[in-house]
Amino acid sequence: MSKKKGNADLAPSRRERAGIGQYILGFCLLLYTLFCALPVILVFIAAFTDEQAINQNGFSFFPEKWSMAGMNMVLKYGKQLLTSYGITILVTVGGTFLGLLVMSMFAYSISRKGFKLAGFLSIYLLIPMLFNGGQLSGYVIFTRYYHLKDSLWLLVLPLCVSTMNVIILRTFIVNSIPSELMEAAKIDGAGEYRTFFQITLPLMKPSLAAVGFMMATAYWNDWQNALLYIASDSKKPLQLLLVNIQKSIEFLLNNNNVPAAARAAMGGNIPQYSSTMATVIVVIGPIMVAYPFFQKYFVKGLTVGSVKG
Amino acid sequence: MKEFLKNTWKHRAHVVMALPAFLILFFIMYVPMAGLVMAFKSFDYSKGIWGSPWNGLENFKFLLTSKATFLSITKNTLFYYFVFTALGTFLNVVLAVAIDQCVFKKASRAMQTIMIIPVFISYAAVQFIVYAFISSDTGILTNTFGLTTRFYSTPAAWPWILTIVKIWNSVGYGSVLYMSVLAGIDTELYEAAEIDGANRWQKIWHITLPALIPMITVMLLLSVGSIMRSDTGLFYQVTRNSGILYPTTQVIDSYVLNAIFKNSNFGFTAATSFFQSVVGLVMMLLANGLVRKISPENSLF
Repeated sequence: MSKKKGNADLAPSRRERAGIGQYILGFCLLLYTLFCALPVILVFIAAFTDEQAINQNGFSFFPEKWSMAGMNMVLKYGKQLLTSYGITILVTVGGTFLGLLVMSMFAYSISRKGFKLAGFLSIYLLIPMLFNGGQLSGYVIFTRYYHLKDSLWLLVLPLCVSTMNVIILRTFIVNSIPSELMEAAKIDGAGEYRTFFQITLPLMKPSLAAVGFMMATAYWNDWQNALLYIASDSKKPLQLLLVNIQKSIEFLLNNNNVPAAARAAMGGNIPQYSSTMATVIVVIGPIMVAYPFFQKYFVKGLTVGSVKG
Repeated sequence: MKEFLKNTWKHRAHVVMALPAFLILFFIMYVPMAGLVMAFKSFDYSKGIWGSPWNGLENFKFLLTSKATFLSITKNTLFYYFVFTALGTFLNVVLAVAIDQCVFKKASRAMQTIMIIPVFISYAAVQFIVYAFISSDTGILTNTFGLTTRFYSTPAAWPWILTIVKIWNSVGYGSVLYMSVLAGIDTELYEAAEIDGANRWQKIWHITLPALIPMITVMLLLSVGSIMRSDTGLFYQVTRNSGILYPTTQVIDSYVLNAIFKNSNFGFTAATSFFQSVVGLVMMLLANGLVRKISPENSLF
């Protein structure tokens, strides 16, 4: 009994309990971290590996010869690369801000006590999670009835409002923002809109950051809507560039019907593998750079409750 | 009723604030629901959904006559759903508890940062990474480890490959939600258990895991509704949409995507979509009903 009490006295300092078990645990976590990191590291190594070395020895973490050819190839995309970056950034930034604004307003509304319509709005929000029309129906409606084929709105709107994100925002408002604050603002004479924009919205920062970053990632990584709806080069986002340019390189390499002149126009022998990996870096790079700044909000801002309130 | 209108008028600012999201949901989510009636029509794109003639249950009969495809894509969809959900939830919880228990706080936070990274890489990019590992002429597995399997023509290997890719992609991020729950556990509980003589495993079993149950329930409930849906990119991009691999890799969503691109088989596809949506709805209602019976506080609605 006294021994256990002794243990309890030691409890406040967790460091002293770092026994052999902790080292095994740490080692396992390290192994899993490597499992996550190595494929990403390979992309960076392969992008700077000499094409000949890849063709002879395959991809490797320790390439025989380094080269900038892949990166140079990426620069040859030229104007299209800039256009695609512009489109992706526009859609990502615009979509994320629009989505956060309309979703937090909705979340705020349905979390108000005494607002009788809130019950209906919660159900209205929930139904799309239970039942939805699916891709085919969406495709026909958006293209044939809304006439939005080849419109950037189809990159923005489908990912703009999601039930799950509204639930996260609503949970945050209910659990982490004292309702007294809103009431006090009202007593001081602030209207509904002012209360929301000046009191509630700034306090929602952790959840807005977490949800916003996830939305931004979804926008940045969306290839499916682009592949379905975007036709003109001037509206092609980065992901589509990745999907399409690779297809065209492969086509040129594998198709013997393509005249030699056309292949020569592509720059003689194309550093296929390294330039692919270089393109991957160009596409995923900005997210990798932005992510560490948002990570601290993840644990704080992402909590899920239920919609029933 | 009059009181309700009065209440709504009093809260008109809230109505206005809810309106934009309401409209977006209406046009993006609700209108396509009505589009599902095309499952009962002989659909012709030029005539549109409402203009195409009705053909009763023709499409569903077609579904049954070409049932090999239908069964295969349904089976694959369900198979991957169960594997990904069961294994994913298990690993999410294990990882969250492991990071929480680790006393090397700085190191574990750094490792967690790295573990989340894969979720930010789109499947359009992931397919090239997978290719770098398993391609039969330049892949690392072939050249460094001497494996001779030609993965891109071996359907049997793909349930393993896709599961590994999915875990790599999603477990690090998935554990974050559980960590947010663990961060909220009152440390006094652990201290009290320690005084009572509980060891580390007993504390995990009796305090940590029970605290996670509500979150596990909510996440499972949320996923049940998408039982017939899949991470399309994983099945369409990572497999390079290769026909040889369809027997083990084609799911309903990637089938529908292909049908749209090929502009073909709309009848079959519409019937399949209808089936997909209805099954999702039924499963969600059943699961929520079940949870509501067992522990009402954890049900979604």
